[in-house]
Amino acid sequence: MLLNTRALLPAVCAIFAAAVPVHAQEPKGTLVFAVETLAAQTLDPILEARPGNAVYQAAMYDSLVGFDLAKGGVGPGVAESWEMSEDGLTWTFKIRPGQKWHNGDPVTAHDVKFSLERFMSPASLAAAAATMRRSMKSIEVADDLTLKIHTHHPQVGLPASLSRAVAPEGSVMPKTYIEQVGVEEYRKKPVGSGPWKFVRSVPGDRLEFEAVDHPHWRGRPKFKNLHILLIPEEATRIAMVRTGEAAIASISPETIRGAERGGLRVVSVPATMQAVFQFWGTWRPEMKDSPLAKVRVRQALSLAIDRKLVIEHVMSGKANVPRPYSTFAYSEDLSVDRWKKWSEENFRYDPELAKKILAEEGYPNGFELKFANTALPGTQFMVAVGTAIADMWQKIGIKVTTKHYEWGGFPPLVRAKDQAQLTGWASMYRAVGRPEAFWRYNAAFSPESGERLFGDPETCDAACKKYVELYRSVINERDRTKRTQFNDAMIEHVANSWLSIPVIEGMGYYAVNTEQVGQFDPIPGRHELGDVFERIPQPGDKPWSK
Amino acid sequence: MGRFIVRRLLQGVVLLVLVTAIVFVLGRMTGSPVDLMLPEDATAEDRERLIRTLNLDGPVHTQFLTFVGNALHGDFGTSIRMRQPTLDVFMSRLPNTLAIIPWALLFAMSVGIPLGVVAAINRGRFLDRASGTVAVLGIATPSFWLGIVLIFIFAVELRWLPSGRMGGPEHYILPVITLGTFLTAGFMRLTRSSMLDVMESEYVKLARIKGLSETVVIWKHCLRNALIPVLTLWGVFVGNLITGAIVTETVFAWPGVGRLTYEAVIYRDFPLLQAVIILKAVLILSVNLVVDILYAYVDPRIRYS
Repeated sequence: MLLNTRALLPAVCAIFAAAVPVHAQEPKGTLVFAVETLAAQTLDPILEARPGNAVYQAAMYDSLVGFDLAKGGVGPGVAESWEMSEDGLTWTFKIRPGQKWHNGDPVTAHDVKFSLERFMSPASLAAAAATMRRSMKSIEVADDLTLKIHTHHPQVGLPASLSRAVAPEGSVMPKTYIEQVGVEEYRKKPVGSGPWKFVRSVPGDRLEFEAVDHPHWRGRPKFKNLHILLIPEEATRIAMVRTGEAAIASISPETIRGAERGGLRVVSVPATMQAVFQFWGTWRPEMKDSPLAKVRVRQALSLAIDRKLVIEHVMSGKANVPRPYSTFAYSEDLSVDRWKKWSEENFRYDPELAKKILAEEGYPNGFELKFANTALPGTQFMVAVGTAIADMWQKIGIKVTTKHYEWGGFPPLVRAKDQAQLTGWASMYRAVGRPEAFWRYNAAFSPESGERLFGDPETCDAACKKYVELYRSVINERDRTKRTQFNDAMIEHVANSWLSIPVIEGMGYYAVNTEQVGQFDPIPGRHELGDVFERIPQPGDKPWSK
Repeated sequence: MGRFIVRRLLQGVVLLVLVTAIVFVLGRMTGSPVDLMLPEDATAEDRERLIRTLNLDGPVHTQFLTFVGNALHGDFGTSIRMRQPTLDVFMSRLPNTLAIIPWALLFAMSVGIPLGVVAAINRGRFLDRASGTVAVLGIATPSFWLGIVLIFIFAVELRWLPSGRMGGPEHYILPVITLGTFLTAGFMRLTRSSMLDVMESEYVKLARIKGLSETVVIWKHCLRNALIPVLTLWGVFVGNLITGAIVTETVFAWPGVGRLTYEAVIYRDFPLLQAVIILKAVLILSVNLVVDILYAYVDPRIRYS
């Protein structure tokens, strides 16, 4: 057979071109990242909560389901594809071939099964352990690269729940290694399959990783070493980036302008959360005559908020006008464009209309409103957002009495059987960025939930029952088109109730020393950089594009 | 002397029991670590499970008695956040704090004592007032502010020193100054008042009559005796440093027990918080006991009072 050299030429060139950059792009130097907390600082995923997993464990561990890097939300991970069975009771995950642990062993479906079972074990501190145990009937290894998860009921959100875009419970651990060396030794010398391998952990100070010396599906790191430093004080973190002691540091919105004045580039991660305010116990009999029990009054309170002003002055211009409660541009099974338009119209600033509505509802001179201002961990700026909106309500005649709560003291009030201390109050709250909206909706609006904004099981009125019906339709519907319709209907029902109202779509912020690292983009909705480190280029190199 | 020590030890035990009870109850009044560990959309089922896993279920008094019983056997529990014995966690961080304390003391003494002497020998004059101003500033300046200002000047602007973290000798300079400044004022004021007492004493007058130079009288005869009450307050100052290191260690990212305390509070890591506070209390009580014993040994009136 004659070789067609003309046809071969491009291939030869491609191989040559590919070989040269690989040599030229050998990892070098150290990428130093300063962060406010290392949480539990353990490399055993079953002992760490979501933020710690996302900050540093993600560097060395892969997750069964990963990210859609461009849009945010769910995408391929250790599993390159997954599908639900006809009866909806089995999810089959196809494991990406050729993956290996840092000790050289291959990554197989046995590791994934072992990991999921470890997350559900009594020793696990995983947030979703009980839910996983309840929903998963059994886990079956069909072959080395095929895993089947059998569930008691159809679980449309199962792949997303095993994605690092949502939770740490999809992290995959090395079965053979852990069984060989034991758990204690594994915790001292952890082995993962991510693009960074463990070097050292100095408690309360830092974690050190080294780039793997082989290609990785997440991308081969551009730096030889990765050091993640625990620097609790924000001013110190910024100082370290300015002096070059660190290349990147997490910062809050309050310091964005100062960091920029100091010559640093600020990278913001879009759509990591929503700061919302919500009304408690409006469905209780004693609230019958309260202004807050009226939907139009609640809507008026939303119209009184100048979201753009909050974004400009509290968030240093680095936040967005939100979409409906707990929905984002990357939300799954949702008519995202429709809701973007809806938000632009309904989250507008119109204090005159707000006053008019109040007058029509019988409150021409406003009314007294008790407002609990609080901030969830990691989003301290919510207090400033709360203070700003309380001021805006005052301007339309509402007499606001604000009480500040340190976050630790707030959840007990929410969980209290009768919510006595919150009924009739408005408060700040938060909706974290999740690709599937229904988890957060369940936590806020289900009669069995802690927040139970529509009502509890005993007093679930028509609006509450309609929500429950729509929610069940969403979680049970396997056809994506129909699920989108149900999702839209659920979101519309909640949006029109004006019970939990987004103020801003918040972001994650990082100060970057451009002499230390090149240009990179974060993953939308993913506050932490644990899955981005390997993509961060050397200074002067081509920016990372998704 | 034996009865004196036994009395002091018994007082220490009572104090420890009180500290334990207060920390135990107050910690739990500030919220639950579970609320910090779980996402907002966690189910009630997951919450209940985590509470059980962390042994946070059951009445508070039962948890307290269990804790006290275990602590008497040297078991201070397991850190909720780190899943390690709290005693091990504390002991792993203690050397980092102890590494900085002697230098902070040395800094405070080497600045505060000479300033006190200068103030005493210039009583009522400009240098006395200037030293007093330094003392007031030292006490009034918040550590977090001073630390950040020092970082800004010496790390960011001048690039002479690192911004923080533990490391070589250059890493010690800014934390030592920040930590020691507060004590500098204390040493200065105490030295000044002690010096003023001593300078009026008969043996100082005798030294002058003997024709000794003023330098020798002041720095050898007066200062030596004036330092006795200063040194007895050492114990108090060491205690201040152990507890006061929280802010300095946080600003400079120094992985000592001060920052461990801060982390335990932030994460509502009750077992760790209890262990850290109790062990710090033991340390401070021990240092004070040693100082009391030494003082009682030097001054018999203390023993009999």
